[in-house]
Amino acid sequence: MPVIETDGLTKLYGSSRGIEDVSFSVEAAEVFGFLGPNGAGKTTTIRALLDLLHPSAGSARIFGLDSRRESVAIRARLGNLPGDFGYGRQATGRGALRLVARLRGIDGLGRAEALAERFRADLDRPLGELSRGNRQKVGLILATFHSPELLILDEPTSGLDPLMQEEFLALVAEERERGCTVLLSSHELDEVERVCDRVGIVRDGKLIAVERVADLLGKTQRRNLVEVEFAQPVELKDVRAIPGVVDAEFAHATLEEVFLTYYGEGPR
Amino acid sequence: MSAQIGALVRAHLSDRRRSLLAWGVPLGLWSAFVVVIFPSVEGALSKAVKSYPSALKEAFGIGQLTSVEQYLQAEMLSLIVPLALGYLAVRAVASGLSGAAESGRLDVLLSAPVSRSRIAAASFAATAVELAVVLALTVILTSLGGLLAGAHLSLSAAIAGYANVWPLALLFAGLGIVATGFSLRTTVVTGAVAGVLVTMYVVDLVGRLDPDLSGIRYASVFRYYGNAIEDGIDPAAFLGVTAAAIALAALGAWLFERRDLAA
Repeated sequence: MPVIETDGLTKLYGSSRGIEDVSFSVEAAEVFGFLGPNGAGKTTTIRALLDLLHPSAGSARIFGLDSRRESVAIRARLGNLPGDFGYGRQATGRGALRLVARLRGIDGLGRAEALAERFRADLDRPLGELSRGNRQKVGLILATFHSPELLILDEPTSGLDPLMQEEFLALVAEERERGCTVLLSSHELDEVERVCDRVGIVRDGKLIAVERVADLLGKTQRRNLVEVEFAQPVELKDVRAIPGVVDAEFAHATLEEVFLTYYGEGPR
Repeated sequence: MSAQIGALVRAHLSDRRRSLLAWGVPLGLWSAFVVVIFPSVEGALSKAVKSYPSALKEAFGIGQLTSVEQYLQAEMLSLIVPLALGYLAVRAVASGLSGAAESGRLDVLLSAPVSRSRIAAASFAATAVELAVVLALTVILTSLGGLLAGAHLSLSAAIAGYANVWPLALLFAGLGIVATGFSLRTTVVTGAVAGVLVTMYVVDLVGRLDPDLSGIRYASVFRYYGNAIEDGIDPAAFLGVTAAAIALAALGAWLFERRDLAA
């Protein structure tokens, strides 16, 4: 039985575009990426799954339960990181965790302390005093501290620096190993490529494709553009002299690679 | 179930602990000031009141101003405290619902296994406690003022007078939850319900000033407010208004359960 199954899920509101006829399923222990630009309908789909928005048509089942009528039972088994996480300016991460733990009927804060240490999150400062990235870390801890069966993450790495993005991707891989199913929305192909098994592509409120990540990359591969690494530094003119080569350029390190070079040993 | 509501109520009160002092202390000090100055203005007031038109005295609940309780009713309990507490009630209940939606907190809470109606119920219950604490602070400071000034304020009358504001203010908390069923913008919710609060006060005032229009007073909760500091609490009015507040909160929770919570 799929962990998530939607059938013609549609949400139309006023003049704004919602989602239309979205049908997909996510299997147990699968990491499913929801890929699309901002405003494509990723968040609307997630909010409909969580019963925050009531669908205009269609249905969704999570753990085999109806997402509307049995929403409370569903939410007992999942963790959710909302897009653009917020909780109020005065509250601290620890205060938020304590309340959510009580609502979940959990004694103590589970693995929250370990996660806070791992992500270098400050749970004791008011959230209004934290940067967006540091607030996002608290949101990640709130979503994962109770080791849920399903994780729903809406743009989880927004605001995180490259080191923390790496740590986050490692956490998602560990959660999958634990047997957790993950639905992750993103507009970053690189992020989806690294952790997802399958990806659904959303455009203008419609799910236009569901593919295995490897298949998706195979389809979009440019078969005449190759990145080659030599053992020694070379001259470009020597490379261009190779028969069949029409152009060659030195690769520049990305900002992320530069960041990881300087800070790579830091957080662990 | 009750554990979840208890946790939400405690969190709500903890978030609003500054508000408890910010409302309770100034209202209490103002009320205490009224009690403290009464012995020195008593004579002049009695003369002044005799010259007031009878309709005006009726409208503002001023019979005579020969006791500190009557003076407290005229200065604080006929206008300032009910309007202030009504506004505080809607602010408090909105902070737990529309305010939580605006800050993102509602999304976090609704990621946990708790229903929206339970969140609405907790917000209403926390507001009821908050109102009671603010009124208690006001009574304590007022009574201290009476003791210091030797104003002979009856503690039981003061308690009755201020306790009588509680169901009235709570009704506006219930209306606030109903408003949340239609809008999740705090300014809209507080503005709309504050408008109803002032309108109800004016409707009651007009009904008292003009006997021909006395029927319109039934459209206002102030019709059932009375003058508890002098006459004692009317149990039927107290329980009836409390029941109406709870009914409005239940209606609001039902609407809140059915509305979309957009990002």
